[in-house]
Amino acid sequence: MAAPAAPRPRRSLIEASLYAVTALILFFLVAPIFVVFPLSLSSGELLVLPTPGYSLRWYEEFFTSNRWLLATWNSFVVGLATMIVATLLGTLAAFGLYLGQFRGKALIIAILSLPMVTPIIVTAIAMYFALSLVGLGSTLTGLIIAHTVLSVPFVLLTVLASLQTFDPNLLRAAASLGASPPVAFRRVVLPLIAPGVATGALFAFATSFDELVVALFIASPGQFTLPRQMFAGVREFLSPTIAAAAVLLIVFSALLLAINEMIRKRAQARGISSGPTP
Amino acid sequence: MSSRLASRRNVMAAALIAPLFLLVALSFLAPLATTLYRAIEDSDFSLALPKTSRSLQQWDGVALPPEEAFRSFVEELRQAQQDQAAGAILNRLNFEETGLRTLLLQATRASGRLAEPYRDSMIALNPRWGDPALWRLFKRATGPFTSLFLLRSLDLKPTDQGVAKAAAQDAVFLPLFWRTFEISLVVTILCALLAYPVAYTLSILPQGWANVGMMLVLIPFWTSILVRTTAWFIILQREGPINALLMAMTLVDQPLTMIFTRFAVYIAMVHVLLPFAILPLYSVMKGLKPDYMRAAASLGAPGWKRFLRIYLPLTMPGVAAGSLMVFMLSVGFYITPALVGGPGDQMVSSFIAFFTNVSVNWGMAAALATLLMAMTGVLVVVARLVVPGFRSGGVKA
Amino acid sequence: MSDAIIRFEGVTKSYDGVTQVVKALDFSVLRGEFVTLLGPSGSGKTTTLMMLAGFEDPSSGAIMFDGRLLNHVPAHQRGIGVVFQNYALFPHMTVGANLAFPLEMQGVARAEREARVRAALDMVKLGALADRRPSQLSGGQQQRVALARALVFRPKLVLMDEPLGALDKQLREHMQLEIKHIHETLGVTVVYVTHDQGEALTMSDRIAVFHNGRIQQLASPGEIYERPANAFVASFIGENNRLDGTIESMADGVARVRLADGSIVAATPGPGVGSGARVTLALRPEKVRIGPDAGGENRFEARIEELIYYGDHTRLRLALGGGEDFTARLTFKDALARPERGDVIPVSWRGVDCLALAPEEA
Ligand SMILES: Nc1ncnc2c1ncn2[C@@H]1O[C@H](COP(=O)(O)OP(=O)(O)OP(=O)(O)O)[C@@H](O)[C@H]1O
Ligand SMILES: [Mg+2]
Repeated sequence: MAAPAAPRPRRSLIEASLYAVTALILFFLVAPIFVVFPLSLSSGELLVLPTPGYSLRWYEEFFTSNRWLLATWNSFVVGLATMIVATLLGTLAAFGLYLGQFRGKALIIAILSLPMVTPIIVTAIAMYFALSLVGLGSTLTGLIIAHTVLSVPFVLLTVLASLQTFDPNLLRAAASLGASPPVAFRRVVLPLIAPGVATGALFAFATSFDELVVALFIASPGQFTLPRQMFAGVREFLSPTIAAAAVLLIVFSALLLAINEMIRKRAQARGISSGPTP
Repeated sequence: MSSRLASRRNVMAAALIAPLFLLVALSFLAPLATTLYRAIEDSDFSLALPKTSRSLQQWDGVALPPEEAFRSFVEELRQAQQDQAAGAILNRLNFEETGLRTLLLQATRASGRLAEPYRDSMIALNPRWGDPALWRLFKRATGPFTSLFLLRSLDLKPTDQGVAKAAAQDAVFLPLFWRTFEISLVVTILCALLAYPVAYTLSILPQGWANVGMMLVLIPFWTSILVRTTAWFIILQREGPINALLMAMTLVDQPLTMIFTRFAVYIAMVHVLLPFAILPLYSVMKGLKPDYMRAAASLGAPGWKRFLRIYLPLTMPGVAAGSLMVFMLSVGFYITPALVGGPGDQMVSSFIAFFTNVSVNWGMAAALATLLMAMTGVLVVVARLVVPGFRSGGVKA
Repeated sequence: MSDAIIRFEGVTKSYDGVTQVVKALDFSVLRGEFVTLLGPSGSGKTTTLMMLAGFEDPSSGAIMFDGRLLNHVPAHQRGIGVVFQNYALFPHMTVGANLAFPLEMQGVARAEREARVRAALDMVKLGALADRRPSQLSGGQQQRVALARALVFRPKLVLMDEPLGALDKQLREHMQLEIKHIHETLGVTVVYVTHDQGEALTMSDRIAVFHNGRIQQLASPGEIYERPANAFVASFIGENNRLDGTIESMADGVARVRLADGSIVAATPGPGVGSGARVTLALRPEKVRIGPDAGGENRFEARIEELIYYGDHTRLRLALGGGEDFTARLTFKDALARPERGDVIPVSWRGVDCLALAPEEA
């Protein structure tokens, strides 16, 4: 008869190797992101490690270069405009889909989220042709329209997800207490789906802020966004300014992530859904 | 439907959905439709050479076209050259048969000297003008529709006798689609293999550690794809930290070439897409009740059998959902191969960009886009059929 | 009739255009009345209430409220209070804010709003909890808040759809009395939905018994219990023995009914039955007398099939009149010592206690 304790060491061996593998993979995921940190502080001209010394010259370069400043400005303008339009339209449409009692809702949702599953390059050239046709090629407006279309599915889906946990009796209760539909939406629905709306808005902003492919086709140098400017940098003149820009982008993304986690935690504490996890 | 209340609700619902629907219809669906339409539309020839087009369309296509066709051809070609409108048609025809640009340019330059009967003087200029097959090619180019671009995307070409294989030097697209598929598949498999242990470990760790691990997945997830690709660009370059390390350890005596290789494409794409595989898998594993495994244990299944027979099948939907997402995104990848791959590692997207921007052959760009869309569409449909509860949502691309 | 606050006139409702879940509803509710809609699941009670509240509209017919046609008035302009089964308290607002909400909608000034909210909370004995959120309250407390919220804006009519359904038995009985008191104090009209007959009997001025989308009977609790209009009402309210038969003859308000096994029973005819009609006899178990010298013109010998001990009484299942489900109660008063299964015992009942009613529709 085998000793009952026999499987124990083997088990912990498996567990140990599992932890080791996981740690390695997580290292693989985050380490490359942190490689750019020392590079951005390099005192040398080249993007090589180890750096000859440390300085803030590339951040100075970033913050005094007209190109980078313009790109930063453009990124925020486009990102914020995209966020506002996508959140507004996406939230209203999601509520409409929640209210409506008709067939084909799934089809409408599928159509509205088509931009999410269409290969980005296809969307980009379609936008490029269409926007040039109506005279919006090489304009920030064109870029905002394109980014809104790309990011609106995220708003729609997160808001729909948080509406799924919304009790329709609350709408009836509001009506029985004298609230007209718009008032009921503002006073009862919106506060309860706010975490979902906020997550969607954040995602819309992040989508626009990170977007490059459409910008490659639509933006001329005057409309370059941060990713577009960085791409130009990698392609043309590799300098540690790119690393500095990358660090700023990473810090900003981490900030967005932190805000999102905060929204999620607070919503959880209040027992309200904020939509799908990421 | 009979109910007024219900219809009032629906009117309200429609009014709320309408703005977004209009936006998506006008600035996405319509552009997409017209773009895909370019894949079969063929109007360069008939726009530049309207009279020639008309007489070619009436021609029976057997012997040479009538003198009238030759005359309008010479006149309209000369006119187009003066209006600087000949470029489009030269591109269009030369794309269908390499060498036609030279032939047409020769005719254009000589058009002042050509005299009646044009048919004879053109044949005298170049005997190719006496070949009815050439004129049949022109006749096919008079539009309004063509199968040329779609066939070319499949390494085929239209001929007098129907569809034939494209010339060897033009037959680049099937290998391109195959390469796109191969890269996507390898990336998907790698992601699934790496995601599984990570998601599992995160799902069994105590909450505190699991949160830390989750952050390590979410930070790259929220970091721009370009930033991550750039990081790999820096890491893998000849003077990069990996080579520096290998040299310092004297494992190699000269830097390895890693940048601009398939290896670089794989590693960067896996890095970019891995979170998409981990997140759905993690939520499936987290939602799995331990009762199943306990039940299996109580029924006498040893550890590895419990894993194979119970845990793996129950978590398969998570693997499938993540893999589909990864594959779908991979198929359309553009930036990463463009930055860290070599010429032989470019995917369909890069050719679409090339035809749009560089060679300005929008028909071809549209045809490749159509096929790429079809490939993705088939995938989504298969995904919906195969994976229960698969929603193509909740992730950023 | 002149003081009817609600009138349903030929109201029907169909959700799918095929099945009518409410059929030709005609009834009135008087001002200040407490009317309960009682019936089995799916009988159309909620649907009727929803039409009144404005959350569904009738497929045909008219609903009058206070002399006004209500059909196309949107829910938020009806001024009807509603208490929902799951309370539907706004989770993001405090109790006080929940109560202030309808007053805000009416444009009541802040000072008065606060006074009225406080008064309403005091009425349901929750004065101290105004700053809590609904999720921080017990089920019973939430129920009271829901009640206070439906009343605070002084609607003329309050609808309640199984408001006590989620509470345990003890709390439910307590709340029944409390709601009854509030109704009496405020004089508000209440339409109440339940499928608990005990609740309906204790609380209501009148009960409307629903079945298959129709009102089977609308009458006071006593009348419903004592004089059910048909076999459905008889069997739905309280316990009843049912015996099927045909009326042989009628004389002096007494019907002679022949049962399946040929025996004849004297019974009191219900509304709308005549000579030759197929009827269902309804006889409450407590009206069945047991023993040789018990009075009553209907006398039978019955075999005991089963005895079930209930503490204060023992229930007998008897074979009688061709069936085997005849129930009688044996109390300590009955002069029958220790009956056993298989015994044949004499039973009897009075013709006035036994109703001959129109049978249930198939
Ligand atoms: N929104 C709806 N769509 C379609 N059918 C419905 C809808 N609401 C109710 N029904 C149907 O109408 C019938 C009556 O339902 P109703 O809710 O009025 O019953 P009820 O008497 O309140 O029952 P319960 O005691 O179970 O609450 C049922 O058969 C139900 O299935
Ligand atoms: Mg109901």
